[in-house]
Formats: sequence, C-alpha cells, structure tokens
Amino acid sequence: MTSAGCHIGRSVSFYFLCCKMDNSEAKKIVDLLKQGDRRTLERIYLENRDGFIHFSKKYNIEECDAVDIYQDSILVLRENAVNGRLDGLKSNISTYLYAIGKYKIYHNFRVKSRIDLDHEIELPAENVDFDVNLYEDGLTKEQRIIRKCFEKLGERCQSVLRLFYYQGYNLDEIREILNYSNKKVLKSQKSRCIKQLRDLVNKEYEEL
Amino acid sequence: MKNFDLIDRYFENILTPKEQLQFNNLLERDPEFKEEFEFQKDLKTAIAASQRDDLRATLQELEKKAGSKRFLPLPKKWLVAASLFLLVALGFWSVQNRFFPSNQALYVAHFEPYRNKVMPITRGSEVQSIAYKAFAAYESAEYHKAINLFSSVKDPKQDHILFYKAMCYLSLDKNEEAIEILTGLSAVPGTGDAGSDFSQQARWYLALAYLNQGEEKKAMSQFSLIAEQEQAVFKKEEAKEILSHLD
Repeated sequence: MTSAGCHIGRSVSFYFLCCKMDNSEAKKIVDLLKQGDRRTLERIYLENRDGFIHFSKKYNIEECDAVDIYQDSILVLRENAVNGRLDGLKSNISTYLYAIGKYKIYHNFRVKSRIDLDHEIELPAENVDFDVNLYEDGLTKEQRIIRKCFEKLGERCQSVLRLFYYQGYNLDEIREILNYSNKKVLKSQKSRCIKQLRDLVNKEYEEL
Repeated sequence: MKNFDLIDRYFENILTPKEQLQFNNLLERDPEFKEEFEFQKDLKTAIAASQRDDLRATLQELEKKAGSKRFLPLPKKWLVAASLFLLVALGFWSVQNRFFPSNQALYVAHFEPYRNKVMPITRGSEVQSIAYKAFAAYESAEYHKAINLFSSVKDPKQDHILFYKAMCYLSLDKNEEAIEILTGLSAVPGTGDAGSDFSQQARWYLALAYLNQGEEKKAMSQFSLIAEQEQAVFKKEEAKEILSHLD
C-alpha cells in the first residue's frame, strides 16, 4: 500500500522521503484523535469534505446523503483510531477516510453502476472494521439506560470512565492525565463512580 | 472484590493466559462476576454511543459553517430556475432595446460629432492659426483642448466656431453648455462668414442633446421641427424614426 502522496515516476529518494513524512504525520494525527482532540477532527472534516461529496456524485448520490455518509465515516474514523485500529496505519488519514466512505457507499446504496466499485476500493491493509454500529437503535434497553445515567454523573466520574472504557487508556495513564497521587486512589475513585452509576440505573428501573 | 481486578485487566487488554482462563471460569460459574462484567461492557458501549452523538452534533455545526462558506449553497433546481429567468430577462431586454430603445440608447445610436467641413487639416500645413489648431484638436478628438482654442479665436461668436464648440461639449457629455449654444444657432438662420448655414445641423444636435439629458418633450418638439420642415433635408428621416420610438 503506497501512500497517496507518493506517485509512481518520482525519484526513489523522494519516494522514501515523502512516505516517511506521511507516516509520522499520520501517527501524530492518530494520536491526537485518540486523545479526543476536536480541532484535529474538525480540520480533517473540512479538508476532505468537498472532495468526498464530489466523489460521491460519481455514484449519483445526492449531496445531503453524501454529507450523511461523510459524517458517519468521520465517526468511524475516530472510533477506529480510539480502538487502536489505526496504530500501524500505513496510508495517510485521508486515504483511510475515503476507504471508509467508499465502503459505506457500497453497502448503503448497493451501487449498481458501470463503475466497478470493488475494483476501485483499495481497502487499506490495516485491520479494518468499517461496520461500527453508529446508531442508538443498536443499543439494548440496558445500555440505553446506562447511557442516560452516565450523562447524569459528575464531570470527574465521566472523565475517568470515558478515558478507561472509551478511549482505552490504562489506569496508569489515566492517573497521569488526571493527576491522581497514586493508582490506588484512582481505582477507588473508579469503583465509586461505577457504584454511583449503578445506583442511578437501579433508581431508573424502579421508576419504570 | 479481588476478582473484579480481572475485569479491569480485561479492559486494559493485559490479561495473561493464566488470568484469561480464570476469567473465563468466573464468567461461567460466578453470576455476580458475570453481572459486573456485563454491566461494564454495556457501559463501554453506552459511552461510545454518547460520544458519537456528541461528535455528530459537532459535525452538524461544522457542516453549517462549511455550507455557508460555499459560493452557491443553492440546490441545482434553483440554479436552473435562476439561469432560465436570466435568459428570459436577457431576451426581453434585447427585444425591448430593439423595439423600445431608451433615450440614452437612441442618443448613442445617432450621435456622431459633425465632421470638420470648415477647415481641412492637411499634414505639413504652414498655416498655424488658432482656428486651424482648434480644428486639428477637434479632429483628433481632443475636445477640451479644442474648446479652449475655439474660445481663443479672433471672433469666437462666428456660427461655425460656436457650432463646433457645441460639438465638443456634446462629445464630453456637457449637455447644458451645448444646448445653450445650439439653441442660439438653431433659432437664427445662418449669417456666418463661413458661408454655411448650421441652423439645420444645430437643431438636430439640439434635439439629441435634449434626448441625452432626458428632456423628452423638448427633444420631441425639435425632432418634429426637423421632420416637418419642408426645406430641411438634413437628418429628416432619422428624426422621423426617432419620433416613432419616442411616441
């Protein structure tokens, strides 16, 4: 898999140079996405938006649909970055984003066009999961109640739980990020937060 | 409680193979352990959903920004409608111009500075009188210079001098000055020494000057005089044509 920045016909030294740069650049971006950096995500969104919508037109997809697909693709991009699936990314971010979008076009619209889409989609070799369930109706009743109660928790508890369960940081890393004196304090804090959440959930069930 | 540490280690992805076995065992045999694990797994899914909706809202906001930055955020249908309208309007406009020209359009179509028939300008001429220089300036469309020179000739009140000075004013869109001179010239049949009668020409240009100034009634009465006078032949047909548009 070559990076999008590398075209055949360029000198070999330039080829290596640009690929090396692309990869470290991509790694930086993936790290920022993992940290939940909104500005990076916004930048990626704006930089690729018009190109993607233009691209979708080839498949006769209306602009509003294209925007929906594009937004979902951005969500999947972040999700996969957070889950560590982009850790060894060999292409650049835009290429990966487009691959997600193409996959979505293919699956959502069952494109029956002259264009051989399968041939055109060059799926990155990385560990790919484009089928992230993005919608609320994918949640079970229990999950929905937990979500509602999670949003009622205090700022601190939300941070601890989000970093641990969503962003995939381990306890040592979270201790550092949130400035806890030691891991034990953090662990009991996390247990308290889960207990608090359970209480809220139980109350919710009682009210039902 | 110590067993719950295994759940943390599961989420941190650091279970050893031995711990993994223990983990699987507990999951099968210990309902409390299983319940705790299921709860935390649901929590993970729930947080992810919450994060997604957050981001989705952010992206919607961003989309509004991106949309408003667009040159033409309009749907294609509107653009088609707008261009159709433009076409029709253009067509209407050109038809209107053709059959119902504006005063300005009539003026532009008919105004042309009267040719210098008084003093032929020849290259290398020895004679360099002020009048000669004035006409030379007139011919090369240096109207400001020509006006100054026409005013400086020995007798600036001569008909032909006044007439060409008026031509300069008209060419410079100075209608009022032109009208003042042309009114005088058109009223009195020529008595100029140059032996030419400029009254007919003056009336024509006077009518045009009124037209250019938007004084349609005055213009019409002048054009009518040209069209109706039997002896007058200068621009008679054109005056009739303009009158037909003005009516």
